[in-house]
Amino acid sequence: MEGENKARRGGCDLLLRLLAFALTLVSAILLGVDKQTKIVPIQIVSSLPPLHVPVTAKWQYQSAFVYLMVANIIASSYAVLSLLLSFTSMGGNNILELAIFVGDSLMVALLFSGSGASAAIGLVAYEGNSRVQWQKVCNVFGSFCAKVAASVLISMLGGVAFMLLVLYSGLRLHKRSSRTK
Amino acid sequence: MASTDYKADTERGKEVVPPAAPPTVNCFAADITLRVLLFVASVAAVVSIVTANQTKIIPVLGEREAKFNHLKAFIYFVVALSIAGLYSIITTLASISVLSKPALSTKLLLYFAFWDVLVLGLVASATGTAGGVAYVGWKGEDHAGWAELCSTYDKFCHHVAGSLAVSLFASVVLVLLSWLSIYTLHSRIPK
Repeated sequence: MEGENKARRGGCDLLLRLLAFALTLVSAILLGVDKQTKIVPIQIVSSLPPLHVPVTAKWQYQSAFVYLMVANIIASSYAVLSLLLSFTSMGGNNILELAIFVGDSLMVALLFSGSGASAAIGLVAYEGNSRVQWQKVCNVFGSFCAKVAASVLISMLGGVAFMLLVLYSGLRLHKRSSRTK
Repeated sequence: MASTDYKADTERGKEVVPPAAPPTVNCFAADITLRVLLFVASVAAVVSIVTANQTKIIPVLGEREAKFNHLKAFIYFVVALSIAGLYSIITTLASISVLSKPALSTKLLLYFAFWDVLVLGLVASATGTAGGVAYVGWKGEDHAGWAELCSTYDKFCHHVAGSLAVSLFASVVLVLLSWLSIYTLHSRIPK
Protein backbone atom coordinates (compact mmCIF):
# COMPACT_ATOMS: atom_id res chain seq x y z
CA MET A 1 0.00 0.00 0.00
CA GLU A 2 2.71 2.40 1.05
CA GLY A 3 4.99 1.39 -1.77
CA GLU A 4 2.22 1.63 -4.31
CA ASN A 5 1.34 5.06 -3.03
CA LYS A 6 4.92 6.18 -3.35
CA ALA A 7 5.15 4.82 -6.89
CA ARG A 8 2.01 6.63 -7.95
CA ARG A 9 3.22 9.88 -6.44
CA GLY A 10 6.56 9.42 -8.15
CA GLY A 11 4.74 8.75 -11.41
CA CYS A 12 2.83 12.00 -11.17
CA ASP A 13 6.05 13.85 -10.46
CA LEU A 14 7.75 12.31 -13.49
CA LEU A 15 4.76 13.10 -15.70
CA LEU A 16 4.77 16.75 -14.64
CA ARG A 17 8.51 16.94 -15.22
CA LEU A 18 8.09 15.44 -18.68
CA LEU A 19 5.36 17.97 -19.38
CA ALA A 20 7.56 20.85 -18.23
CA PHE A 21 10.36 19.57 -20.47
CA ALA A 22 8.06 19.27 -23.50
CA LEU A 23 6.52 22.71 -22.98
CA THR A 24 9.82 24.56 -22.62
CA LEU A 25 11.33 22.67 -25.56
CA VAL A 26 8.35 23.44 -27.81
CA SER A 27 8.47 27.07 -26.73
CA ALA A 28 12.19 27.30 -27.56
CA ILE A 29 11.74 25.61 -30.95
CA LEU A 30 8.75 27.76 -31.83
CA LEU A 31 10.75 30.88 -31.04
CA GLY A 32 13.87 29.55 -32.76
CA VAL A 33 12.22 28.94 -36.12
CA ASP A 34 10.33 32.20 -35.97
CA LYS A 35 11.36 34.40 -38.86
CA GLN A 36 9.38 36.49 -41.28
CA THR A 37 10.48 38.55 -44.25
CA LYS A 38 8.23 41.15 -45.76
CA ILE A 39 8.57 43.57 -48.61
CA VAL A 40 7.94 46.95 -47.07
CA PRO A 41 7.48 50.12 -49.12
CA ILE A 42 9.70 52.89 -47.78
CA GLN A 43 9.19 56.46 -48.85
CA ILE A 44 12.50 58.24 -48.92
CA VAL A 45 11.68 61.27 -51.02
CA SER A 46 8.05 62.22 -51.36
CA SER A 47 8.29 63.01 -55.06
CA LEU A 48 9.68 59.57 -55.96
CA PRO A 49 7.69 56.31 -55.85
CA PRO A 50 8.28 54.32 -52.64
CA LEU A 51 11.21 51.96 -52.48
CA HIS A 52 10.34 48.32 -51.85
CA VAL A 53 12.77 46.84 -49.35
CA PRO A 54 12.65 43.33 -47.87
CA VAL A 55 12.65 43.56 -44.08
CA THR A 56 13.15 40.54 -41.84
CA ALA A 57 11.88 40.04 -38.31
CA LYS A 58 13.96 37.62 -36.25
CA TRP A 59 13.89 36.64 -32.62
CA GLN A 60 17.59 37.50 -32.22
CA TYR A 61 16.84 41.18 -32.81
CA GLN A 62 15.04 41.63 -29.50
CA SER A 63 17.01 41.08 -26.31
CA ALA A 64 13.83 40.06 -24.49
CA PHE A 65 13.29 37.22 -26.96
CA VAL A 66 16.90 36.15 -26.59
CA TYR A 67 16.36 36.05 -22.83
CA LEU A 68 13.22 33.95 -23.28
CA MET A 69 15.14 31.58 -25.54
CA VAL A 70 17.95 31.17 -23.00
CA ALA A 71 15.44 30.69 -20.16
CA ASN A 72 13.61 28.02 -22.13
CA ILE A 73 16.81 26.17 -23.02
CA ILE A 74 18.02 26.23 -19.41
CA ALA A 75 14.63 25.08 -18.12
CA SER A 76 14.32 22.22 -20.58
CA SER A 77 17.86 20.99 -19.93
CA TYR A 78 17.21 21.22 -16.21
CA ALA A 79 13.94 19.29 -16.68
CA VAL A 80 15.80 16.44 -18.41
CA LEU A 81 18.50 16.41 -15.74
CA SER A 82 16.02 16.40 -12.86
CA LEU A 83 13.94 13.78 -14.65
CA LEU A 84 16.93 11.48 -14.84
CA LEU A 85 17.95 12.21 -11.26
CA SER A 86 14.51 11.60 -9.80
CA PHE A 87 14.11 8.51 -11.97
CA THR A 88 17.28 6.96 -10.62
CA SER A 89 16.36 7.70 -6.99
CA MET A 90 12.68 6.90 -6.69
CA GLY A 91 13.24 5.58 -3.18
CA GLY A 92 13.60 9.06 -1.75
CA ASN A 93 17.05 10.50 -1.42
CA ASN A 94 16.43 13.38 0.93
CA ILE A 95 19.24 15.71 -0.10
CA LEU A 96 18.43 15.19 -3.74
CA GLU A 97 14.80 15.96 -3.10
CA LEU A 98 15.75 19.29 -1.52
CA ALA A 99 18.14 20.07 -4.38
CA ILE A 100 15.40 19.38 -6.91
CA PHE A 101 13.04 21.63 -5.01
CA VAL A 102 15.62 24.41 -5.12
CA GLY A 103 16.02 23.93 -8.86
CA ASP A 104 12.28 23.84 -9.48
CA SER A 105 11.66 27.11 -7.68
CA LEU A 106 14.50 28.75 -9.61
CA MET A 107 12.96 27.56 -12.86
CA VAL A 108 9.64 29.13 -11.85
CA ALA A 109 11.38 32.49 -11.46
CA LEU A 110 13.39 32.08 -14.66
CA LEU A 111 10.48 31.07 -16.89
CA PHE A 112 8.08 33.66 -15.53
CA SER A 113 10.56 36.50 -15.86
CA GLY A 114 11.48 35.40 -19.39
CA SER A 115 7.92 35.11 -20.59
CA GLY A 116 7.05 38.37 -18.81
CA ALA A 117 9.82 40.25 -20.59
CA SER A 118 8.81 38.86 -23.97
CA ALA A 119 5.14 39.49 -23.34
CA ALA A 120 5.87 43.13 -22.52
CA ILE A 121 7.91 43.61 -25.70
CA GLY A 122 5.25 41.74 -27.67
CA LEU A 123 2.56 44.04 -26.30
CA VAL A 124 4.51 47.12 -27.35
CA ALA A 125 5.03 45.56 -30.79
CA TYR A 126 1.32 44.77 -31.03
CA GLU A 127 -0.11 48.05 -29.80
CA GLY A 128 2.69 50.51 -30.25
CA ASN A 129 3.09 53.30 -27.74
CA SER A 130 2.30 56.83 -28.80
CA ARG A 131 3.70 58.38 -25.61
CA VAL A 132 7.23 57.24 -26.28
CA GLN A 133 6.83 57.08 -30.06
CA TRP A 134 7.38 53.38 -30.45
CA GLN A 135 5.61 52.23 -33.59
CA LYS A 136 3.70 48.99 -33.69
CA VAL A 137 5.31 46.25 -35.70
CA CYS A 138 2.77 43.44 -35.62
CA ASN A 139 0.57 44.93 -38.31
CA VAL A 140 3.44 44.18 -40.70
CA PHE A 141 4.85 41.01 -39.15
CA GLY A 142 1.59 39.31 -38.21
CA SER A 143 2.64 35.68 -38.24
CA PHE A 144 5.92 36.49 -36.50
CA CYS A 145 4.03 38.09 -33.64
CA ALA A 146 1.54 35.21 -33.44
CA LYS A 147 4.37 32.72 -33.07
CA VAL A 148 6.05 34.80 -30.38
CA ALA A 149 2.75 35.01 -28.51
CA ALA A 150 2.35 31.22 -28.71
CA SER A 151 5.91 30.73 -27.52
CA VAL A 152 5.37 33.07 -24.56
CA LEU A 153 2.15 31.30 -23.60
CA ILE A 154 3.72 27.85 -23.80
CA SER A 155 6.72 28.92 -21.76
CA MET A 156 4.37 30.36 -19.14
CA LEU A 157 2.60 26.99 -18.99
CA GLY A 158 6.02 25.42 -18.49
CA GLY A 159 6.49 27.78 -15.54
CA VAL A 160 3.12 26.66 -14.16
CA ALA A 161 4.23 23.01 -14.48
CA PHE A 162 7.31 23.78 -12.38
CA MET A 163 5.08 25.59 -9.89
CA LEU A 164 2.93 22.47 -9.57
CA LEU A 165 6.08 20.42 -9.02
CA VAL A 166 6.99 22.74 -6.16
CA LEU A 167 3.52 22.34 -4.65
CA TYR A 168 3.88 18.63 -5.08
CA SER A 169 7.14 18.30 -3.21
CA GLY A 170 5.73 20.56 -0.49
CA LEU A 171 2.73 18.26 -0.08
CA ARG A 172 4.94 15.20 -0.02
CA LEU A 173 7.23 16.63 2.65
CA HIS A 174 4.26 17.80 4.68
CA LYS A 175 2.71 14.35 4.65
CA ARG A 176 5.94 12.78 5.79
CA SER A 177 6.73 15.32 8.48
CA SER A 178 3.28 15.18 10.10
CA ARG A 179 3.12 11.42 10.20
CA THR A 180 4.28 11.15 13.81
CA LYS A 181 1.30 12.91 15.32
CA MET B 1 20.04 27.23 10.63
CA ALA B 2 19.02 25.40 13.75
CA SER B 3 21.73 27.09 15.78
CA THR B 4 20.70 30.63 14.83
CA ASP B 5 17.16 29.76 15.66
CA TYR B 6 18.31 28.36 18.92
CA LYS B 7 20.00 31.64 19.67
CA ALA B 8 16.95 33.61 18.63
CA ASP B 9 14.87 31.57 21.02
CA THR B 10 17.15 32.40 23.93
CA GLU B 11 17.03 36.06 22.99
CA ARG B 12 13.32 36.08 23.25
CA GLY B 13 13.69 34.57 26.68
CA LYS B 14 11.75 31.45 25.91
CA GLU B 15 12.38 28.00 27.12
CA VAL B 16 15.14 26.55 25.05
CA VAL B 17 14.63 23.20 23.43
CA PRO B 18 17.61 20.93 24.02
CA PRO B 19 19.44 20.60 20.71
CA ALA B 20 20.14 16.90 21.22
CA ALA B 21 16.59 15.85 20.33
CA PRO B 22 14.71 18.74 18.78
CA PRO B 23 11.04 17.82 18.45
CA THR B 24 10.33 20.61 16.02
CA VAL B 25 12.76 22.69 14.06
CA ASN B 26 11.65 26.27 14.02
CA CYS B 27 13.01 28.81 11.62
CA PHE B 28 10.28 31.32 12.16
CA ALA B 29 12.66 34.04 13.36
CA ALA B 30 14.49 33.91 10.03
CA ASP B 31 11.16 33.60 8.28
CA ILE B 32 9.79 36.77 9.87
CA THR B 33 12.99 38.68 9.12
CA LEU B 34 12.80 37.70 5.45
CA ARG B 35 9.12 38.60 5.26
CA VAL B 36 9.78 42.05 6.72
CA LEU B 37 12.58 42.45 4.17
CA LEU B 38 10.15 41.48 1.42
CA PHE B 39 7.70 44.12 2.65
CA VAL B 40 10.38 46.81 2.71
CA ALA B 41 11.62 45.82 -0.75
CA SER B 42 8.21 45.82 -2.38
CA VAL B 43 7.22 49.14 -0.84
CA ALA B 44 10.56 50.67 -1.93
CA ALA B 45 10.08 49.34 -5.47
CA VAL B 46 6.55 50.72 -5.75
CA VAL B 47 7.48 54.11 -4.27
CA SER B 48 10.54 54.44 -6.49
CA ILE B 49 8.65 53.79 -9.71
CA VAL B 50 5.53 55.80 -8.80
CA THR B 51 7.60 58.87 -7.96
CA ALA B 52 9.54 58.63 -11.22
CA ASN B 53 8.04 61.66 -12.91
CA GLN B 54 10.08 63.74 -15.27
CA THR B 55 8.99 66.55 -17.51
CA LYS B 56 11.27 67.75 -20.26
CA ILE B 57 10.92 70.36 -22.94
CA ILE B 58 11.75 68.79 -26.24
CA PRO B 59 12.22 70.93 -29.34
CA VAL B 60 9.41 70.56 -31.91
CA LEU B 61 7.27 68.34 -29.64
CA GLY B 62 7.04 70.78 -26.76
CA GLU B 63 6.71 69.75 -23.15
CA ARG B 64 6.78 66.02 -22.60
CA GLU B 65 6.26 64.06 -19.43
CA ALA B 66 7.57 60.62 -18.59
CA LYS B 67 5.46 58.73 -16.08
CA PHE B 68 5.22 55.10 -15.14
CA ASN B 69 1.60 54.71 -16.22
CA HIS B 70 2.42 55.55 -19.81
CA LEU B 71 3.66 52.01 -20.24
CA LYS B 72 1.43 49.05 -19.45
CA ALA B 73 4.41 46.98 -18.34
CA PHE B 74 5.11 49.43 -15.52
CA ILE B 75 1.46 49.43 -14.44
CA TYR B 76 1.59 45.66 -14.17
CA PHE B 77 4.82 45.98 -12.22
CA VAL B 78 3.26 48.35 -9.69
CA VAL B 79 0.20 46.13 -9.25
CA ALA B 80 2.29 42.99 -8.80
CA LEU B 81 4.67 44.55 -6.30
CA SER B 82 1.75 46.01 -4.35
CA ILE B 83 0.23 42.54 -4.12
CA ALA B 84 3.59 41.22 -2.92
CA GLY B 85 3.73 43.93 -0.26
CA LEU B 86 0.23 43.07 0.94
CA TYR B 87 1.08 39.40 0.92
CA SER B 88 4.18 40.04 3.02
CA ILE B 89 2.11 41.87 5.67
CA ILE B 90 -0.42 39.03 5.90
CA THR B 91 2.21 36.31 6.05
CA THR B 92 4.32 38.18 8.60
CA LEU B 93 1.29 38.32 10.88
CA ALA B 94 0.58 34.65 10.23
CA SER B 95 4.18 33.78 10.96
CA ILE B 96 4.15 35.74 14.22
CA SER B 97 0.89 34.15 15.29
CA VAL B 98 2.26 30.60 15.11
CA LEU B 99 5.49 31.40 16.96
CA SER B 100 4.07 29.97 20.14
CA LYS B 101 2.18 27.09 18.52
CA PRO B 102 4.59 24.75 16.79
CA ALA B 103 1.89 22.14 16.18
CA LEU B 104 0.00 24.44 13.87
CA SER B 105 3.04 25.59 12.03
CA THR B 106 3.64 22.44 9.99
CA LYS B 107 0.47 23.06 8.04
CA LEU B 108 1.32 26.74 7.72
CA LEU B 109 4.76 25.90 6.34
CA LEU B 110 3.13 23.97 3.53
CA TYR B 111 0.91 26.92 2.65
CA PHE B 112 3.92 29.24 2.85
CA ALA B 113 6.00 27.04 0.57
CA PHE B 114 3.34 27.12 -2.08
CA TRP B 115 2.16 30.71 -1.81
CA ASP B 116 5.73 31.99 -1.70
CA VAL B 117 6.42 30.32 -5.01
CA LEU B 118 3.19 31.66 -6.47
CA VAL B 119 4.09 35.20 -5.41
CA LEU B 120 7.61 34.54 -6.67
CA GLY B 121 6.11 33.82 -10.09
CA LEU B 122 4.19 37.08 -9.90
CA VAL B 123 7.16 39.21 -8.81
CA ALA B 124 9.54 37.51 -11.26
CA SER B 125 7.18 38.07 -14.17
CA ALA B 126 6.67 41.69 -13.13
CA THR B 127 10.42 42.22 -12.91
CA GLY B 128 10.86 40.59 -16.30
CA THR B 129 8.07 42.65 -17.83
CA ALA B 130 9.30 45.99 -16.55
CA GLY B 131 12.91 44.98 -17.19
CA GLY B 132 12.20 44.04 -20.80
CA VAL B 133 10.61 47.39 -21.53
CA ALA B 134 13.21 49.32 -19.53
CA TYR B 135 15.99 47.64 -21.48
CA VAL B 136 14.49 48.80 -24.76
CA GLY B 137 14.07 52.27 -23.27
CA TRP B 138 17.71 52.26 -22.29
CA LYS B 139 19.28 50.78 -25.41
CA GLY B 140 16.67 51.44 -28.06
CA GLU B 141 15.74 48.94 -30.72
CA ASP B 142 16.92 49.77 -34.22
CA HIS B 143 15.15 46.97 -36.07
CA ALA B 144 11.74 48.08 -34.92
CA GLY B 145 12.69 51.73 -34.99
CA TRP B 146 12.10 52.24 -31.26
CA ALA B 147 14.20 55.13 -30.06
CA GLU B 148 15.97 55.01 -26.72
CA LEU B 149 14.56 57.28 -24.05
CA CYS B 150 17.02 57.30 -21.20
CA SER B 151 19.28 60.03 -22.58
CA THR B 152 16.24 62.33 -22.49
CA TYR B 153 14.54 61.10 -19.33
CA ASP B 154 17.62 60.32 -17.26
CA LYS B 155 16.02 60.87 -13.84
CA PHE B 156 13.03 58.75 -14.78
CA CYS B 157 15.30 55.93 -15.92
CA HIS B 158 17.28 56.05 -12.68
CA HIS B 159 14.11 55.64 -10.67
CA VAL B 160 13.01 52.70 -12.82
CA ALA B 161 16.43 51.07 -12.57
CA GLY B 162 16.40 51.42 -8.77
CA SER B 163 12.93 49.98 -8.61
CA LEU B 164 13.95 47.02 -10.78
CA ALA B 165 16.99 46.31 -8.65
CA VAL B 166 14.88 46.27 -5.50
CA SER B 167 12.26 44.00 -7.06
CA LEU B 168 15.01 41.63 -8.13
CA PHE B 169 16.05 41.56 -4.49
CA ALA B 170 12.43 40.84 -3.55
CA SER B 171 12.43 37.84 -5.90
CA VAL B 172 15.58 36.53 -4.24
CA VAL B 173 13.95 36.95 -0.83
CA LEU B 174 10.89 35.02 -2.02
CA VAL B 175 13.08 32.20 -3.32
CA LEU B 176 14.86 32.06 0.05
CA LEU B 177 11.53 32.06 1.88
CA SER B 178 10.22 29.06 -0.01
CA TRP B 179 13.53 27.25 0.51
CA LEU B 180 13.32 27.99 4.22
CA SER B 181 9.80 26.58 4.49
CA ILE B 182 10.75 23.43 2.63
CA TYR B 183 13.93 23.04 4.63
CA THR B 184 12.00 23.32 7.89
CA LEU B 185 9.40 20.82 6.69
CA HIS B 186 12.18 18.52 5.61
CA SER B 187 13.97 18.68 8.94
CA ARG B 188 10.75 17.77 10.73
CA ILE B 189 10.51 14.42 9.01
CA PRO B 190 10.83 11.81 11.74
CA LYS B 191 14.00 9.86 11.30
